[in-house]
Amino acid sequence: MAHLRLIARRLMQLSGVMLGISIVTFLLLHMAPGDPARLLAGERASAETIAAIRLQYGLDLPLSQQFVTYLTNLLAGDIGQSLRFQRPVSQLIQQFMWPTLFLTGYVVCLAVPPTVALAILSARNPGGTADQIVRLVGIAGLTIPVFWLGIMMSRFFGVSLGWFPVSGYGVGFTGHLHHLFLPALSTAIWLVPVLTQSLRAALIEKAMADFVTAARAQGASEREIFWRTILPNSVLPTLNLLGVMVAFMIGGAVIVETVYAVPGLGTLMIGALLGRDYYVVQGLTLVFATSTVLVTLAVDLLAAFIDPRVRA
Amino acid sequence: MNRTETVMRPLLEVEDLSVGFGGFNAVKGVSFHVQPGEILGIVGESGSGKSVTCRAVMGLLPGTARASGRVRLEGRDLLTLGEADWNAVRGREIGMIFQNPASHLDPLRRIGRQIAAPMVRHLGIGRREGMRRAIRLLDDVGIRDPERSARSYPHEFSGGMKQRAMIAAAIGCGPRLLIADEPTTALDVTVQARILRLLKELNRERGLAIVLISHDLGVVADICSRVVVMRNGEVVEQGPIDDVINRPQHPYTRLLVDSQPSRRAYACAKAEPEHAAPLLSVEGLSVSFPVRRGLAGDLAGRAGPFLALDGIDLRIAAGETVGIVGESGSGKSTLARAIIRQNRPSGGAIRLDGHDVHALGGDALLAFRRRVQMVFQNPYDSLNPRMTIADAVAEPVWRHGLADRRTAQVRADELLEMVELPRTLRDRKPRQLSGGQCQRVGLARALALEPQLLIADEITSALDVTTQAQILELLLRLQRERALTLLYISHDLSVVSSICQRVYVFKAGRIVENGPAGQVLSVPQHPYTQELVASLARLGLGNAAGASTPVCSNATR
Amino acid sequence: MVDASMLPETPPRTRRTTLSMTVAIAILGGWLCLALAAPLAAPYDPDAIDIMNMLSPPGAEHWFGTDQVGRDVFSRVLFASRVDLFLCVIGVLPPLLIGTTIGLVSGYFGGVVDSLFMRVYDLTVAFPFFVLVLAIVGVLGPGLVNFVIALTLVGWVSYARLVRAEVQTIRESEYIQAARCLGYRPVAIVTRHVLPNAVGPIIAYAVSDAVLVMLAGASFGFLGMGAQPPLAEWGVMIADGQAFVQQAWWICLFPGLAAISLGLGFAFLGDGLGQMQRGQAAS
Repeated sequence: MAHLRLIARRLMQLSGVMLGISIVTFLLLHMAPGDPARLLAGERASAETIAAIRLQYGLDLPLSQQFVTYLTNLLAGDIGQSLRFQRPVSQLIQQFMWPTLFLTGYVVCLAVPPTVALAILSARNPGGTADQIVRLVGIAGLTIPVFWLGIMMSRFFGVSLGWFPVSGYGVGFTGHLHHLFLPALSTAIWLVPVLTQSLRAALIEKAMADFVTAARAQGASEREIFWRTILPNSVLPTLNLLGVMVAFMIGGAVIVETVYAVPGLGTLMIGALLGRDYYVVQGLTLVFATSTVLVTLAVDLLAAFIDPRVRA
Repeated sequence: MNRTETVMRPLLEVEDLSVGFGGFNAVKGVSFHVQPGEILGIVGESGSGKSVTCRAVMGLLPGTARASGRVRLEGRDLLTLGEADWNAVRGREIGMIFQNPASHLDPLRRIGRQIAAPMVRHLGIGRREGMRRAIRLLDDVGIRDPERSARSYPHEFSGGMKQRAMIAAAIGCGPRLLIADEPTTALDVTVQARILRLLKELNRERGLAIVLISHDLGVVADICSRVVVMRNGEVVEQGPIDDVINRPQHPYTRLLVDSQPSRRAYACAKAEPEHAAPLLSVEGLSVSFPVRRGLAGDLAGRAGPFLALDGIDLRIAAGETVGIVGESGSGKSTLARAIIRQNRPSGGAIRLDGHDVHALGGDALLAFRRRVQMVFQNPYDSLNPRMTIADAVAEPVWRHGLADRRTAQVRADELLEMVELPRTLRDRKPRQLSGGQCQRVGLARALALEPQLLIADEITSALDVTTQAQILELLLRLQRERALTLLYISHDLSVVSSICQRVYVFKAGRIVENGPAGQVLSVPQHPYTQELVASLARLGLGNAAGASTPVCSNATR
Repeated sequence: MVDASMLPETPPRTRRTTLSMTVAIAILGGWLCLALAAPLAAPYDPDAIDIMNMLSPPGAEHWFGTDQVGRDVFSRVLFASRVDLFLCVIGVLPPLLIGTTIGLVSGYFGGVVDSLFMRVYDLTVAFPFFVLVLAIVGVLGPGLVNFVIALTLVGWVSYARLVRAEVQTIRESEYIQAARCLGYRPVAIVTRHVLPNAVGPIIAYAVSDAVLVMLAGASFGFLGMGAQPPLAEWGVMIADGQAFVQQAWWICLFPGLAAISLGLGFAFLGDGLGQMQRGQAAS
């Protein structure tokens, strides 16, 4: 019951945010200095081409009317037409999204186990040697440019050792696993420190919580206290952060995919940006934002499942 | 020595217990014992080492602590136990409850499972059986509808219910000894009385020995048969409760007893029956807060605003000391905030000399600020942590243009001297002061503008009882010297009745009773006031009530 | 009243705080000196093409080797530090100032400004940070200036959110109630009582943010959306070297290491400041 009400409330908020997202993506094109029609047509287009484009995309209409058209199209599932590919953006996204989704899932799978292990190792003895090392490595991990790490790893593991392919997506599930290993690893190396720090802080905080003292006073063993009291209570803040990070990663895929030439949404985005294919940029921004919102929603619901206070 | 002692072996013996943290010795050579079935009180102020002592008994000291001496439970030395042996003792043979029940319950697990957990662990019973016993225990500790409550989560319980649940979890395995560490401090007075009654019943019916740790001598006197008085990590005195309270041997015990508000004779201002126009009048005041747009409110359509104050009428004459008593959520602080214009009334008016306070603006408002000032509850939170105390006290003076900034500093020194703070402290930040010193600074700051009306909202509730007595002395001295009108707000009826001439009793946003302090205390009319007074009936206050009344109508002057 | 608070938690913080700060100051100070002294310290002109010495490996002649057109990598790394260091400052300051101002107003006064800000906040976090900045730069046109503009447009929101949360806590504290009760003017309360108590966490956050800004700047350079070649910038250099990484790993390696070391400087500074904050809050 409480779950259903939470979902209802969250869906209502969601519709508001989605409307806002559509406004932002719509305005994105109109934010550019100069005439959007010229922007779409390219630098060297003739006056006729520009006029034709203006007419075709309704750019001569008032802004509000253009927005209504945009919104109606969105609701009908039409998020624009690629000028470069001469295909609907939605088709392009369907074609390019699988590698990105696969990569995202792969990264989460690679990142979560070491995060939990390192955080526990670190929080066991705060301030101890293991903790200091984990923290130092964590700080260092945050400062590594992902694209640089990607290039270096593909040079070393791909070229020198020849263990992994350095580009592409591969064929079949194992092929994907093989091809995307380096991209996923380089993203995970950046993700693990952030998550570890959060989980470590939560573990240390909860280990000093009053209810842990109470459990100890009731004769619970340290092992039982850790697994049944400290860990469940520490998962919540990290879960929220993981949600933020997955959303971040959907965007961060742009870089990794470019480095490893993975035919995903990120590569599509960079291609569209450099090729000035603005409707694709607009459509992709919309899709990235929507998936972020959905991930956040999923995390919120998961948190509510764990924590009765969120449901209330 | 007592005859029973020679016959019965003590349940718990603590001998020469010392606990050190690094170079700091929190407990120094403490010895006491607990007989089976008795209630022993340990009383002391903050830093006395009473909590550390009981944590040492329970084996709950942090890893950095070093404990020495002997702690024997039925002859078995506890300090030498290994972790596994400890786990068999904790929760099974000794139960423990804590000060803040809200933070000691795991927020993610249902109450029933938390109560059942120790029984499942120690008694080797199944989960279902554990649940059945948990429900019975909830019933035993006086929680209504135990089946449903067992399925609830801690956040759905009130403070008193949480403490009952903690007690249920602690006594589930039938321990011989219960250690209760400030079990009622975080609770309202009336709830406090009920929890103490519950502990007493458990003691009588189950023969459960209890060690009750408290800063409040009144609480200890209420249910304990013997008491240990601690100070700075040492036992200064111990013995039967009557002896310690009525014939204290050690000067500190005497100070502690004398600092109890009900035992103390304060020199109050004279009650002049002044029936001229009141200085401050509150007429039909209501304050409402919009309810947070919660789920339940949304869908059930119950989203009405919450009435924190509902039609309050009160008047304060110049020079009077008026007290307001109420528990948390009674609206007493909302009233204070409404008077200083931090809460807007939703109905009614507050008038100072006939002028509506909330209609003031410009210079009239500044003049109002100079006439009405307030001292706040939390000693540290009420001072800007980044300002020296002299700056904090000087600021109102120069901001109101009463002096330039240099003269204001001189004025600040005078004010600090007035509240008996040594000059050497003037350049300290609040963090470098004690709680009582901070409250003095707050008082000096409020008096910097030489107000007519001073509002004191729970100004001693965060302080130790001996400090509280000093602050009250100071407050009343200043009141006399400066002919202040005082509105004193507190949850503690004994404090209010010992310093105020008239008392208003608040409950759930309404005034349920008002009248002269002595009358409210001796012949309470409203059932709620009766309950409040009854909860004070300890430390011989019941008969002292009559005695303390004349004290306050200036018998001491 | 609570004796439990007497139990010392023995945080071994202080020693590490000072260590973090020392390391941070050494690294940041070192880079600052190198950046300022780049024209003196660099052995070669960073843009001088030398066809005779293309892709020569690191050695006595060229410490970090040369790139595909014979430019000295060491000199370019030095000159690039000017761009990247400057980027850290110029990428952090505008969002910091704008965000703090809006956060103060929104947090202290509430009302319309606050609800408006919260809508903007909800909307901004709906977009992946990187994608939004990228899209804005894409529309405005690639380049460093547009990158900073886009960064400011998106970045101020997180500062404002942080400040708002701090201010809302401070606003409820009794010393602010006391200040209002004493009749101080709102401007005086905000500047004298609220801001000084909110500023610590903001600075610590800004320093950690500098790491992100630097990495984002380099990433944009790498993607061709930020600094434009032939300007020496670490990200641009790495992008240049990517095609030659099989023969000449050094073109990519050294700019990356430079970026990491500068990032470490900021990260340690942020770490030290953060520890100091927490230490103060705890005592």
